[in-house]
Amino acid sequence: MNQHGTGYRTARRADYGGAASIDRDYQSDQNDQSTAGYGAAGGTPVVSFVNVSKHYGSLKAVDGLSLDLRPGETVALLGPNGAGKSTSLDMLLALRKPTSGKIQMFGSDPYHAVKSGRVGAMLQSGGLMPEVTVRELVTLVTGLHPKPEPVDTTLKRAGIAQFADQRVDRLSGGQTQRVRFALAICGKSELIVLDEPTAAMDVETRRLFWNSMKEEVAEGRTLLFATHYLEEADQAADRILVINRGRLLADGTPAEIKARAGAKRLSFRLDQVNEQFLLGLPGLVNLEVRSDVVQIQSGDSDATLYAILDAGYRPREIEVSSLGLEQAFIAITAEDDRANGNNNGETN
Amino acid sequence: MAGILALTRVEFRRLLRNRRYLIFTVGFPVVLYLLVANRVSTTAYGVSFAAYYMVSMAMFGAFSGALTGNAQRISQEKKDGWIRQLRLTRLPANAYVVSKVIVSMATTVPAIAAVLLLGRFYGHVHLQAWQWLATAVTIWFGATIFAALAVAIGYRYQPDQVQPIALVVYFFFAILGGLWFPMTGFLQKVGELTPTYDAVKIGTDVIGNAAVSAGLAIGLLVWLGIFLALATVSVRATAETV
Repeated sequence: MNQHGTGYRTARRADYGGAASIDRDYQSDQNDQSTAGYGAAGGTPVVSFVNVSKHYGSLKAVDGLSLDLRPGETVALLGPNGAGKSTSLDMLLALRKPTSGKIQMFGSDPYHAVKSGRVGAMLQSGGLMPEVTVRELVTLVTGLHPKPEPVDTTLKRAGIAQFADQRVDRLSGGQTQRVRFALAICGKSELIVLDEPTAAMDVETRRLFWNSMKEEVAEGRTLLFATHYLEEADQAADRILVINRGRLLADGTPAEIKARAGAKRLSFRLDQVNEQFLLGLPGLVNLEVRSDVVQIQSGDSDATLYAILDAGYRPREIEVSSLGLEQAFIAITAEDDRANGNNNGETN
Repeated sequence: MAGILALTRVEFRRLLRNRRYLIFTVGFPVVLYLLVANRVSTTAYGVSFAAYYMVSMAMFGAFSGALTGNAQRISQEKKDGWIRQLRLTRLPANAYVVSKVIVSMATTVPAIAAVLLLGRFYGHVHLQAWQWLATAVTIWFGATIFAALAVAIGYRYQPDQVQPIALVVYFFFAILGGLWFPMTGFLQKVGELTPTYDAVKIGTDVIGNAAVSAGLAIGLLVWLGIFLALATVSVRATAETV
Protein backbone atom coordinates (compact mmCIF):
# COMPACT_ATOMS: atom_id res chain seq x y z
CA MET A 1 0.00 0.00 0.00
CA ASN A 2 2.61 2.37 1.14
CA GLN A 3 4.83 1.54 -1.77
CA HIS A 4 1.96 2.04 -4.15
CA GLY A 5 1.15 5.36 -2.66
CA THR A 6 4.66 6.60 -3.04
CA GLY A 7 4.83 5.33 -6.59
CA TYR A 8 1.66 7.07 -7.48
CA ARG A 9 2.89 10.30 -5.97
CA THR A 10 6.17 10.11 -7.85
CA ALA A 11 4.37 9.44 -11.08
CA ARG A 12 2.21 12.44 -10.56
CA ARG A 13 5.15 14.61 -9.85
CA ALA A 14 6.63 13.55 -13.16
CA ASP A 15 3.41 14.38 -14.95
CA TYR A 16 2.92 17.59 -13.20
CA GLY A 17 6.45 18.79 -12.76
CA GLY A 18 8.63 20.72 -15.12
CA ALA A 19 8.96 24.46 -15.25
CA ALA A 20 7.54 24.67 -18.77
CA SER A 21 4.17 23.26 -17.86
CA ILE A 22 3.93 25.41 -14.76
CA ASP A 23 4.77 28.48 -16.76
CA ARG A 24 2.13 27.58 -19.27
CA ASP A 25 -0.49 27.14 -16.57
CA TYR A 26 0.32 30.46 -15.01
CA GLN A 27 0.36 32.15 -18.39
CA SER A 28 -3.01 30.82 -19.47
CA ASP A 29 -4.37 31.86 -16.11
CA GLN A 30 -3.19 35.38 -16.77
CA ASN A 31 -4.75 35.45 -20.19
CA ASP A 32 -8.10 34.37 -18.81
CA GLN A 33 -8.08 37.24 -16.41
CA SER A 34 -6.98 39.91 -18.82
CA THR A 35 -10.01 39.19 -20.98
CA ALA A 36 -12.35 38.75 -18.04
CA GLY A 37 -15.32 41.07 -17.96
CA TYR A 38 -15.61 41.49 -21.68
CA GLY A 39 -17.31 38.12 -21.95
CA ALA A 40 -20.50 39.41 -20.36
CA ALA A 41 -21.13 41.75 -23.29
CA GLY A 42 -24.49 42.76 -24.73
CA GLY A 43 -25.92 46.09 -25.89
CA THR A 44 -24.21 49.31 -26.86
CA PRO A 45 -22.20 50.91 -24.08
CA VAL A 46 -23.95 53.34 -21.75
CA VAL A 47 -20.62 54.98 -21.05
CA SER A 48 -17.37 54.74 -22.92
CA PHE A 49 -13.99 56.18 -22.05
CA VAL A 50 -11.46 56.05 -24.85
CA ASN A 51 -7.92 56.71 -23.74
CA VAL A 52 -9.00 59.47 -21.37
CA SER A 53 -6.38 61.46 -19.47
CA LYS A 54 -6.60 64.34 -17.07
CA HIS A 55 -3.39 66.08 -16.11
CA TYR A 56 -2.94 68.79 -13.52
CA GLY A 57 0.45 70.16 -14.41
CA SER A 58 2.78 67.18 -14.08
CA LEU A 59 0.30 65.15 -12.03
CA LYS A 60 -1.53 62.55 -14.09
CA ALA A 61 -4.77 62.16 -12.17
CA VAL A 62 -6.20 59.98 -14.92
CA ASP A 63 -3.80 58.38 -17.36
CA GLY A 64 -5.13 56.79 -20.53
CA LEU A 65 -8.28 55.29 -19.09
CA SER A 66 -10.43 53.18 -21.43
CA LEU A 67 -13.59 51.41 -20.35
CA ASP A 68 -17.15 50.60 -21.37
CA LEU A 69 -20.26 50.26 -19.23
CA ARG A 70 -23.05 48.13 -20.59
CA PRO A 71 -26.76 48.65 -19.91
CA GLY A 72 -28.01 47.18 -16.64
CA GLU A 73 -24.60 46.58 -15.12
CA THR A 74 -23.70 47.47 -11.55
CA VAL A 75 -20.08 48.47 -11.67
CA ALA A 76 -17.78 49.42 -8.81
CA LEU A 77 -14.89 51.74 -9.42
CA LEU A 78 -12.43 50.62 -6.81
CA GLY A 79 -9.20 52.30 -5.95
CA PRO A 80 -7.21 53.86 -3.12
CA ASN A 81 -7.47 57.57 -2.33
CA GLY A 82 -6.00 59.64 -5.13
CA ALA A 83 -6.39 56.83 -7.67
CA GLY A 84 -8.41 59.06 -9.98
CA LYS A 85 -11.91 57.82 -9.15
CA SER A 86 -13.48 61.19 -8.45
CA THR A 87 -11.70 62.87 -11.34
CA SER A 88 -12.99 60.17 -13.69
CA LEU A 89 -16.54 60.58 -12.45
CA ASP A 90 -16.25 64.38 -12.65
CA MET A 91 -15.23 64.10 -16.30
CA LEU A 92 -18.05 61.67 -16.96
CA LEU A 93 -20.48 64.19 -15.51
CA ALA A 94 -19.07 67.08 -17.57
CA LEU A 95 -17.79 68.84 -14.44
CA ARG A 96 -14.21 68.63 -15.70
CA LYS A 97 -12.79 68.46 -19.17
CA PRO A 98 -10.38 65.65 -20.07
CA THR A 99 -6.90 66.77 -21.10
CA SER A 100 -7.12 64.21 -23.89
CA GLY A 101 -9.25 61.30 -24.98
CA LYS A 102 -12.95 60.96 -25.51
CA ILE A 103 -15.89 60.25 -23.24
CA GLN A 104 -19.31 59.31 -24.54
CA MET A 105 -22.53 58.74 -22.66
CA PHE A 106 -25.58 57.33 -24.43
CA GLY A 107 -23.85 58.09 -27.70
CA SER A 108 -23.56 61.81 -26.97
CA ASP A 109 -21.08 64.01 -25.15
CA PRO A 110 -21.30 64.03 -21.33
CA TYR A 111 -22.64 67.60 -21.10
CA HIS A 112 -25.70 66.90 -23.23
CA ALA A 113 -26.30 63.54 -21.59
CA VAL A 114 -26.32 65.24 -18.19
CA LYS A 115 -28.58 68.08 -19.33
CA SER A 116 -31.06 65.63 -20.86
CA GLY A 117 -31.50 63.98 -17.46
CA ARG A 118 -30.26 60.54 -18.52
CA VAL A 119 -27.85 60.40 -15.62
CA GLY A 120 -28.52 60.97 -11.93
CA ALA A 121 -25.49 61.52 -9.79
CA MET A 122 -24.43 61.75 -6.20
CA LEU A 123 -21.11 63.51 -5.88
CA GLN A 124 -18.68 63.15 -3.04
CA SER A 125 -18.27 66.89 -3.21
CA GLY A 126 -21.90 67.64 -3.98
CA GLY A 127 -23.44 69.98 -1.42
CA LEU A 128 -26.96 70.81 -0.44
CA MET A 129 -28.71 74.13 -0.27
CA PRO A 130 -28.97 75.16 3.40
CA GLU A 131 -31.91 76.82 5.18
CA VAL A 132 -34.54 74.82 3.30
CA THR A 133 -36.32 71.65 4.35
CA VAL A 134 -35.47 68.28 2.87
CA ARG A 135 -38.79 68.22 1.06
CA GLU A 136 -38.27 71.69 -0.42
CA LEU A 137 -34.84 70.72 -1.68
CA VAL A 138 -35.98 67.43 -3.21
CA THR A 139 -38.97 69.22 -4.76
CA LEU A 140 -36.69 71.85 -6.28
CA VAL A 141 -34.27 69.35 -7.83
CA THR A 142 -37.12 67.08 -8.95
CA GLY A 143 -38.67 70.07 -10.71
CA LEU A 144 -35.41 70.56 -12.59
CA HIS A 145 -35.43 66.97 -13.91
CA PRO A 146 -36.82 66.38 -17.40
CA LYS A 147 -38.37 63.06 -16.33
CA PRO A 148 -39.24 63.54 -12.66
CA GLU A 149 -40.39 60.88 -10.22
CA PRO A 150 -43.09 61.85 -7.70
CA VAL A 151 -41.42 63.60 -4.75
CA ASP A 152 -43.03 61.29 -2.18
CA THR A 153 -41.74 58.23 -4.02
CA THR A 154 -38.20 59.60 -3.95
CA LEU A 155 -38.45 60.52 -0.26
CA LYS A 156 -39.60 57.00 0.54
CA ARG A 157 -37.05 55.23 -1.63
CA ALA A 158 -34.17 57.22 -0.20
CA GLY A 159 -35.49 56.57 3.31
CA ILE A 160 -35.76 60.25 4.15
CA ALA A 161 -39.55 60.64 4.39
CA GLN A 162 -39.47 60.64 8.19
CA PHE A 163 -37.31 63.76 8.32
CA ALA A 164 -38.58 65.45 5.16
CA ASP A 165 -39.68 68.52 7.09
CA GLN A 166 -36.37 69.05 8.84
CA ARG A 167 -33.95 71.65 7.67
CA VAL A 168 -31.18 70.36 5.46
CA ASP A 169 -28.45 72.08 7.47
CA ARG A 170 -29.58 70.34 10.68
CA LEU A 171 -29.16 66.73 9.54
CA SER A 172 -26.59 64.16 10.63
CA GLY A 173 -23.87 63.05 8.23
CA GLY A 174 -25.68 59.84 7.31
CA GLN A 175 -28.98 61.65 6.80
CA THR A 176 -27.26 64.19 4.57
CA GLN A 177 -25.84 61.35 2.47
CA ARG A 178 -29.32 59.92 1.97
CA VAL A 179 -30.66 63.31 0.89
CA ARG A 180 -27.88 63.53 -1.65
CA PHE A 181 -28.80 60.05 -2.80
CA ALA A 182 -32.42 61.21 -3.16
CA LEU A 183 -31.24 63.95 -5.53
CA ALA A 184 -29.57 61.27 -7.67
CA ILE A 185 -32.73 59.19 -8.01
CA CYS A 186 -35.39 61.92 -8.16
CA GLY A 187 -35.81 61.45 -11.90
CA LYS A 188 -36.09 58.52 -14.26
CA SER A 189 -32.39 58.48 -15.14
CA GLU A 190 -31.01 55.44 -16.94
CA LEU A 191 -27.56 55.73 -15.39
CA ILE A 192 -26.90 56.39 -11.72
CA VAL A 193 -23.44 57.54 -10.69
CA LEU A 194 -22.51 57.50 -7.02
CA ASP A 195 -19.18 58.75 -5.74
CA GLU A 196 -18.42 57.09 -2.39
CA PRO A 197 -22.11 56.93 -1.55
CA THR A 198 -21.85 55.37 1.90
CA ALA A 199 -19.09 57.54 3.34
CA ALA A 200 -20.29 58.88 6.72
CA MET A 201 -22.93 56.15 7.00
CA ASP A 202 -22.94 53.71 9.88
CA VAL A 203 -23.14 49.98 9.18
CA GLU A 204 -26.91 49.75 9.50
CA THR A 205 -27.54 52.78 7.30
CA ARG A 206 -25.13 51.37 4.76
CA ARG A 207 -27.07 48.11 4.64
CA LEU A 208 -30.37 49.98 4.19
CA PHE A 209 -28.78 52.09 1.52
CA TRP A 210 -27.70 49.11 -0.55
CA ASN A 211 -31.10 47.51 -0.14
CA SER A 212 -32.82 50.53 -1.65
CA MET A 213 -30.09 50.72 -4.27
CA LYS A 214 -30.88 47.16 -5.35
CA GLU A 215 -34.48 48.22 -5.96
CA GLU A 216 -33.28 51.05 -8.17
CA VAL A 217 -31.09 48.74 -10.18
CA ALA A 218 -33.82 46.10 -10.43
CA GLU A 219 -35.58 48.45 -12.84
CA GLY A 220 -32.81 47.89 -15.34
CA ARG A 221 -30.79 50.97 -14.57
CA THR A 222 -27.05 51.01 -14.95
CA LEU A 223 -25.15 51.84 -11.79
CA LEU A 224 -21.60 53.06 -11.49
CA PHE A 225 -20.24 53.70 -8.02
CA ALA A 226 -16.86 54.60 -6.68
CA THR A 227 -15.83 53.18 -3.37
CA HIS A 228 -12.93 52.21 -1.21
CA TYR A 229 -15.11 49.92 0.89
CA LEU A 230 -14.02 46.66 -0.61
CA GLU A 231 -16.73 44.47 0.84
CA GLU A 232 -19.19 46.89 -0.67
CA ALA A 233 -17.77 46.42 -4.14
CA ASP A 234 -17.70 42.68 -3.51
CA GLN A 235 -21.31 42.46 -2.43
CA ALA A 236 -23.02 45.08 -4.56
CA ALA A 237 -21.24 45.02 -7.90
CA ASP A 238 -21.36 42.50 -10.71
CA ARG A 239 -18.23 44.02 -12.13
CA ILE A 240 -15.28 45.75 -10.54
CA LEU A 241 -12.89 48.15 -12.17
CA VAL A 242 -9.72 48.51 -10.14
CA ILE A 243 -7.89 51.75 -10.77
CA ASN A 244 -4.65 53.06 -9.39
CA ARG A 245 -2.60 56.07 -10.47
CA GLY A 246 -5.31 56.93 -12.96
CA ARG A 247 -4.98 53.67 -14.85
CA LEU A 248 -7.25 50.65 -15.13
CA LEU A 249 -5.54 47.68 -13.50
CA ALA A 250 -8.22 45.06 -13.50
CA ASP A 251 -11.69 44.62 -14.89
CA GLY A 252 -13.82 41.65 -13.96
CA THR A 253 -16.32 40.08 -11.61
CA PRO A 254 -15.45 40.17 -7.91
CA ALA A 255 -14.48 36.48 -8.15
CA GLU A 256 -12.20 37.14 -11.10
CA ILE A 257 -10.55 40.06 -9.36
CA LYS A 258 -9.87 37.92 -6.32
CA ALA A 259 -8.49 35.14 -8.50
CA ARG A 260 -6.29 37.51 -10.40
CA ALA A 261 -4.63 38.67 -7.22
CA GLY A 262 -4.27 35.15 -5.89
CA ALA A 263 -7.38 34.46 -3.90
CA LYS A 264 -5.84 32.08 -1.34
CA ARG A 265 -3.03 32.47 1.07
CA LEU A 266 -1.00 29.34 1.70
CA SER A 267 1.48 29.34 4.55
CA PHE A 268 3.69 26.65 6.03
CA ARG A 269 7.08 25.97 7.55
CA LEU A 270 9.70 24.29 5.44
CA ASP A 271 13.37 23.64 6.15
CA GLN A 272 15.92 24.15 3.40
CA VAL A 273 13.72 26.31 1.23
CA ASN A 274 14.48 26.24 -2.48
CA GLU A 275 13.20 29.62 -3.66
CA GLN A 276 13.70 28.82 -7.33
CA PHE A 277 11.42 25.82 -6.97
CA LEU A 278 8.79 27.80 -5.05
CA LEU A 279 8.74 30.56 -7.66
CA GLY A 280 7.93 27.94 -10.29
CA LEU A 281 4.86 26.67 -8.47
CA PRO A 282 1.54 26.63 -10.34
CA GLY A 283 -0.93 29.41 -9.48
CA LEU A 284 1.69 31.39 -7.61
CA VAL A 285 1.10 35.10 -7.53
CA ASN A 286 3.26 36.24 -4.66
CA LEU A 287 5.92 34.60 -2.52
CA GLU A 288 7.30 35.64 0.84
CA VAL A 289 9.96 33.67 2.68
CA ARG A 290 11.11 34.50 6.22
CA SER A 291 13.67 31.95 7.40
CA ASP A 292 11.63 28.71 7.42
CA VAL A 293 8.20 30.39 7.12
CA VAL A 294 6.82 30.46 3.59
CA GLN A 295 3.78 32.51 2.58
CA ILE A 296 2.34 32.05 -0.87
CA GLN A 297 -0.50 33.89 -2.51
CA SER A 298 -2.02 31.62 -5.09
CA GLY A 299 -4.73 31.69 -7.71
CA ASP A 300 -5.08 27.90 -7.32
CA SER A 301 -4.05 26.83 -3.85
CA ASP A 302 -4.85 23.16 -4.48
CA ALA A 303 -2.51 22.94 -7.46
CA THR A 304 0.17 24.87 -5.58
CA LEU A 305 -0.01 22.58 -2.57
CA TYR A 306 -0.08 19.39 -4.66
CA ALA A 307 2.97 20.51 -6.57
CA ILE A 308 4.88 21.05 -3.31
CA LEU A 309 3.89 17.65 -1.99
CA ASP A 310 4.51 15.99 -5.34
CA ALA A 311 8.03 17.38 -5.35
CA GLY A 312 8.63 15.37 -2.22
CA TYR A 313 8.59 18.25 0.25
CA ARG A 314 6.84 17.78 3.55
CA PRO A 315 5.91 21.24 4.81
CA ARG A 316 4.65 21.59 8.39
CA GLU A 317 1.85 23.70 9.89
CA ILE A 318 0.09 24.09 6.57
CA GLU A 319 -2.59 26.77 6.56
CA VAL A 320 -4.76 27.74 3.63
CA SER A 321 -6.90 30.86 4.06
CA SER A 322 -9.13 32.83 1.76
CA LEU A 323 -8.02 36.25 0.70
CA GLY A 324 -10.76 38.82 0.78
CA LEU A 325 -11.21 41.31 -1.97
CA GLU A 326 -9.30 43.69 0.25
CA GLN A 327 -6.10 41.67 0.07
CA ALA A 328 -6.71 41.09 -3.61
CA PHE A 329 -7.02 44.78 -4.09
CA ILE A 330 -3.91 45.50 -2.07
CA ALA A 331 -2.05 42.84 -4.04
CA ILE A 332 -3.10 44.32 -7.37
CA THR A 333 -2.27 47.89 -6.47
CA ALA A 334 0.98 46.88 -4.77
CA GLU A 335 1.96 44.97 -7.89
CA ASP A 336 1.21 48.10 -9.90
CA ASP A 337 3.17 50.34 -7.55
CA ARG A 338 6.14 47.97 -7.78
CA ALA A 339 5.94 47.86 -11.57
CA ASN A 340 5.71 51.60 -11.61
CA GLY A 341 8.74 51.94 -9.38
CA ASN A 342 10.68 49.59 -11.69
CA ASN A 343 9.68 51.54 -14.75
CA ASN A 344 10.84 54.73 -13.16
CA GLY A 345 14.14 53.05 -12.36
CA GLU A 346 14.60 52.06 -15.98
CA THR A 347 13.73 55.38 -17.51
CA ASN A 348 15.82 57.42 -15.10
CA MET B 1 -36.31 79.76 -17.67
CA ALA B 2 -38.85 77.87 -15.57
CA GLY B 3 -35.88 76.27 -13.83
CA ILE B 4 -34.35 79.64 -12.96
CA LEU B 5 -37.69 80.80 -11.56
CA ALA B 6 -38.00 77.65 -9.46
CA LEU B 7 -34.51 78.16 -8.05
CA THR B 8 -35.17 81.86 -7.45
CA ARG B 9 -38.40 81.07 -5.63
CA VAL B 10 -36.57 78.77 -3.22
CA GLU B 11 -33.83 81.38 -2.76
CA PHE B 12 -36.51 83.89 -1.78
CA ARG B 13 -37.91 81.46 0.74
CA ARG B 14 -34.44 81.17 2.30
CA LEU B 15 -34.17 84.93 2.43
CA LEU B 16 -37.48 85.28 4.26
CA ARG B 17 -36.50 82.54 6.67
CA ASN B 18 -33.07 83.90 7.49
CA ARG B 19 -33.56 87.53 8.46
CA ARG B 20 -30.23 88.13 10.13
CA TYR B 21 -29.15 90.14 7.12
CA LEU B 22 -31.78 92.74 8.04
CA ILE B 23 -29.73 93.74 11.10
CA PHE B 24 -26.95 94.99 8.85
CA THR B 25 -28.88 96.18 5.85
CA VAL B 26 -31.78 97.84 7.70
CA GLY B 27 -30.72 98.09 11.36
CA PHE B 28 -27.42 99.93 10.90
CA PRO B 29 -28.57 102.67 8.53
CA VAL B 30 -31.79 103.23 10.48
CA VAL B 31 -29.95 103.62 13.78
CA LEU B 32 -27.30 105.89 12.22
CA TYR B 33 -30.01 108.00 10.63
CA LEU B 34 -31.86 108.37 13.92
CA LEU B 35 -28.64 109.34 15.70
CA VAL B 36 -27.20 111.74 13.14
CA ALA B 37 -29.70 113.09 10.63
CA ASN B 38 -31.31 115.83 12.71
CA ARG B 39 -28.21 116.87 14.65
CA VAL B 40 -26.39 118.42 11.70
CA SER B 41 -27.79 121.67 10.41
CA THR B 42 -25.47 122.22 7.45
CA THR B 43 -26.26 121.29 3.88
CA ALA B 44 -24.50 118.64 1.87
CA TYR B 45 -24.43 118.01 -1.89
CA GLY B 46 -26.67 121.05 -2.26
CA VAL B 47 -29.55 119.68 -0.13
CA SER B 48 -30.40 119.61 3.57
CA PHE B 49 -28.25 117.27 5.64
CA ALA B 50 -31.32 115.19 6.52
CA ALA B 51 -32.03 114.68 2.82
CA TYR B 52 -28.40 113.86 1.94
CA TYR B 53 -28.16 111.48 4.88
CA MET B 54 -31.39 109.79 3.85
CA VAL B 55 -29.99 109.03 0.42
CA SER B 56 -26.55 108.00 1.65
CA MET B 57 -27.87 105.77 4.45
CA ALA B 58 -30.33 104.09 2.09
CA MET B 59 -27.42 103.46 -0.27
CA PHE B 60 -25.26 102.23 2.61
CA GLY B 61 -27.81 99.66 3.77
CA ALA B 62 -28.71 98.55 0.27
CA PHE B 63 -25.20 98.09 -1.07
CA SER B 64 -24.02 96.25 2.01
CA GLY B 65 -27.02 93.93 1.56
CA ALA B 66 -26.10 93.22 -2.03
CA LEU B 67 -22.40 92.77 -1.30
CA THR B 68 -21.41 91.17 2.00
CA GLY B 69 -24.10 88.58 2.63
CA ASN B 70 -24.12 87.44 -0.97
CA ALA B 71 -20.36 87.08 -1.29
CA GLN B 72 -20.31 84.97 1.87
CA ARG B 73 -23.19 82.76 0.78
CA ILE B 74 -21.87 82.21 -2.72
CA SER B 75 -18.44 81.29 -1.41
CA GLN B 76 -19.92 78.88 1.15
CA GLU B 77 -22.24 77.26 -1.37
CA LYS B 78 -19.40 76.86 -3.80
CA LYS B 79 -17.26 75.24 -1.12
CA ASP B 80 -20.09 72.96 0.01
CA GLY B 81 -20.61 71.83 -3.58
CA TRP B 82 -24.15 73.10 -4.03
CA ILE B 83 -23.12 74.85 -7.25
CA ARG B 84 -21.66 71.55 -8.51
CA GLN B 85 -24.86 69.76 -7.63
CA LEU B 86 -26.82 72.32 -9.64
CA ARG B 87 -24.58 71.70 -12.63
CA LEU B 88 -25.91 68.16 -12.70
CA THR B 89 -29.42 69.46 -13.34
CA ARG B 90 -30.66 70.75 -16.65
CA LEU B 91 -30.31 74.34 -15.40
CA PRO B 92 -28.15 76.44 -17.70
CA ALA B 93 -24.68 77.24 -16.34
CA ASN B 94 -25.49 80.85 -15.45
CA ALA B 95 -28.75 80.03 -13.64
CA TYR B 96 -27.20 80.09 -10.19
CA VAL B 97 -25.67 83.53 -10.69
CA VAL B 98 -28.82 84.92 -12.29
CA SER B 99 -31.00 83.80 -9.40
CA LYS B 100 -28.53 85.24 -6.88
CA VAL B 101 -28.65 88.60 -8.63
CA ILE B 102 -32.45 88.56 -8.77
CA VAL B 103 -32.59 87.83 -5.05
CA SER B 104 -30.06 90.63 -4.40
CA MET B 105 -32.34 93.05 -6.15
CA ALA B 106 -34.89 92.18 -3.49
CA THR B 107 -32.52 92.23 -0.51
CA THR B 108 -31.79 95.89 -1.16
CA VAL B 109 -35.45 96.90 -1.05
CA PRO B 110 -36.15 96.77 2.73
CA ALA B 111 -33.17 99.05 3.50
CA ILE B 112 -34.17 101.57 0.86
CA ALA B 113 -37.81 101.57 1.92
CA ALA B 114 -37.01 101.87 5.62
CA VAL B 115 -34.56 104.74 5.29
CA LEU B 116 -36.66 106.72 2.80
CA LEU B 117 -39.70 106.40 5.09
CA LEU B 118 -37.54 107.55 7.98
CA GLY B 119 -36.34 110.50 5.90
CA ARG B 120 -39.90 111.48 5.15
CA PHE B 121 -41.35 111.16 8.66
CA TYR B 122 -38.32 111.70 10.91
CA GLY B 123 -36.02 113.81 8.77
CA HIS B 124 -38.93 115.88 7.35
CA VAL B 125 -37.76 115.49 3.76
CA HIS B 126 -40.60 116.53 1.48
CA LEU B 127 -40.45 115.48 -2.14
CA GLN B 128 -42.70 115.04 -5.09
CA ALA B 129 -43.76 111.52 -5.95
CA TRP B 130 -41.46 111.33 -8.99
CA GLN B 131 -38.51 112.46 -6.88
CA TRP B 132 -39.13 109.69 -4.36
CA LEU B 133 -39.36 107.20 -7.17
CA ALA B 134 -36.28 108.45 -9.02
CA THR B 135 -34.24 108.50 -5.82
CA ALA B 136 -35.33 105.02 -4.83
CA VAL B 137 -34.66 103.56 -8.26
CA THR B 138 -31.20 105.18 -8.47
CA ILE B 139 -30.18 103.82 -5.08
CA TRP B 140 -31.62 100.45 -5.95
CA PHE B 141 -29.67 100.29 -9.20
CA GLY B 142 -26.48 101.64 -7.66
CA ALA B 143 -26.67 99.02 -4.90
CA THR B 144 -27.62 96.12 -7.13
CA ILE B 145 -24.49 96.41 -9.24
CA PHE B 146 -22.63 95.28 -6.11
CA ALA B 147 -24.34 91.92 -6.46
CA ALA B 148 -22.04 91.37 -9.45
CA LEU B 149 -19.03 92.20 -7.27
CA ALA B 150 -20.35 89.75 -4.68
CA VAL B 151 -20.36 87.04 -7.36
CA ALA B 152 -16.79 87.95 -8.32
CA ILE B 153 -15.57 87.70 -4.71
CA GLY B 154 -17.68 84.71 -3.72
CA TYR B 155 -16.58 82.58 -6.66
CA ARG B 156 -12.92 83.39 -6.31
CA TYR B 157 -12.27 83.20 -2.57
CA GLN B 158 -12.81 80.68 0.21
CA PRO B 159 -15.43 81.57 2.85
CA ASP B 160 -12.80 82.48 5.46
CA GLN B 161 -11.10 84.82 3.00
CA VAL B 162 -14.35 86.40 1.89
CA GLN B 163 -15.13 87.98 5.24
CA PRO B 164 -12.08 90.32 5.38
CA ILE B 165 -12.09 90.99 1.63
CA ALA B 166 -15.76 91.95 1.63
CA LEU B 167 -15.20 94.16 4.66
CA VAL B 168 -12.35 96.05 3.00
CA VAL B 169 -14.40 96.56 -0.16
CA TYR B 170 -17.37 97.60 1.94
CA PHE B 171 -15.45 100.22 3.93
CA PHE B 172 -13.69 101.45 0.81
CA PHE B 173 -16.89 102.16 -1.10
CA ALA B 174 -18.81 103.36 1.96
CA ILE B 175 -16.21 105.88 3.19
CA LEU B 176 -14.78 107.10 -0.11
CA GLY B 177 -18.24 107.21 -1.63
CA GLY B 178 -19.23 109.63 1.13
CA LEU B 179 -21.96 107.42 2.56
CA TRP B 180 -21.10 108.10 6.21
CA PHE B 181 -20.10 111.75 5.81
CA PRO B 182 -19.23 113.87 2.78
CA MET B 183 -15.58 113.70 1.77
CA THR B 184 -13.51 116.81 1.31
CA GLY B 185 -10.41 117.77 -0.65
CA PHE B 186 -8.32 115.06 -2.27
CA LEU B 187 -10.39 112.21 -0.85
CA GLN B 188 -13.45 113.79 -2.37
CA LYS B 189 -11.77 113.84 -5.79
CA VAL B 190 -10.99 110.14 -5.48
CA GLY B 191 -14.37 109.39 -3.97
CA GLU B 192 -16.15 110.97 -6.90
CA LEU B 193 -14.94 108.03 -8.97
CA THR B 194 -16.90 105.50 -6.92
CA PRO B 195 -20.34 104.15 -7.86
CA THR B 196 -21.58 104.77 -4.32
CA TYR B 197 -20.84 108.46 -4.78
CA ASP B 198 -22.44 108.44 -8.25
CA ALA B 199 -25.68 106.96 -6.96
CA VAL B 200 -25.93 109.26 -3.94
CA LYS B 201 -25.13 112.36 -6.02
CA ILE B 202 -27.78 111.48 -8.58
CA GLY B 203 -30.24 111.10 -5.72
CA THR B 204 -29.38 114.43 -4.09
CA ASP B 205 -29.39 116.21 -7.46
CA VAL B 206 -32.89 114.88 -8.06
CA ILE B 207 -33.95 116.03 -4.61
CA GLY B 208 -32.33 119.46 -5.03
CA ASN B 209 -33.88 119.89 -8.48
CA ALA B 210 -30.38 120.26 -9.92
CA ALA B 211 -29.50 118.98 -13.37
CA VAL B 212 -28.17 115.44 -13.12
CA SER B 213 -24.81 115.22 -14.83
CA ALA B 214 -24.51 112.48 -17.44
CA GLY B 215 -21.08 111.66 -16.02
CA LEU B 216 -22.69 110.25 -12.87
CA ALA B 217 -24.92 107.89 -14.83
CA ILE B 218 -22.02 106.88 -17.06
CA GLY B 219 -19.96 106.30 -13.93
CA LEU B 220 -22.54 103.85 -12.61
CA LEU B 221 -22.66 102.01 -15.92
CA VAL B 222 -18.86 101.80 -16.10
CA TRP B 223 -18.75 100.31 -12.62
CA LEU B 224 -21.48 97.87 -13.58
CA GLY B 225 -19.28 96.88 -16.52
CA ILE B 226 -16.22 96.47 -14.28
CA PHE B 227 -18.08 94.34 -11.74
CA LEU B 228 -19.64 92.20 -14.46
CA ALA B 229 -16.24 91.65 -16.04
CA LEU B 230 -14.73 90.67 -12.67
CA ALA B 231 -17.64 88.33 -12.03
CA THR B 232 -17.25 86.71 -15.44
CA VAL B 233 -13.51 86.22 -14.93
CA SER B 234 -14.07 84.68 -11.50
CA VAL B 235 -16.79 82.34 -12.68
CA ARG B 236 -14.78 81.23 -15.71
CA ALA B 237 -11.53 80.82 -13.76
CA THR B 238 -13.20 78.53 -11.26
CA ALA B 239 -15.35 76.62 -13.76
CA GLU B 240 -13.50 73.38 -13.06
CA THR B 241 -13.42 73.70 -9.31
CA VAL B 242 -17.06 74.27 -8.52
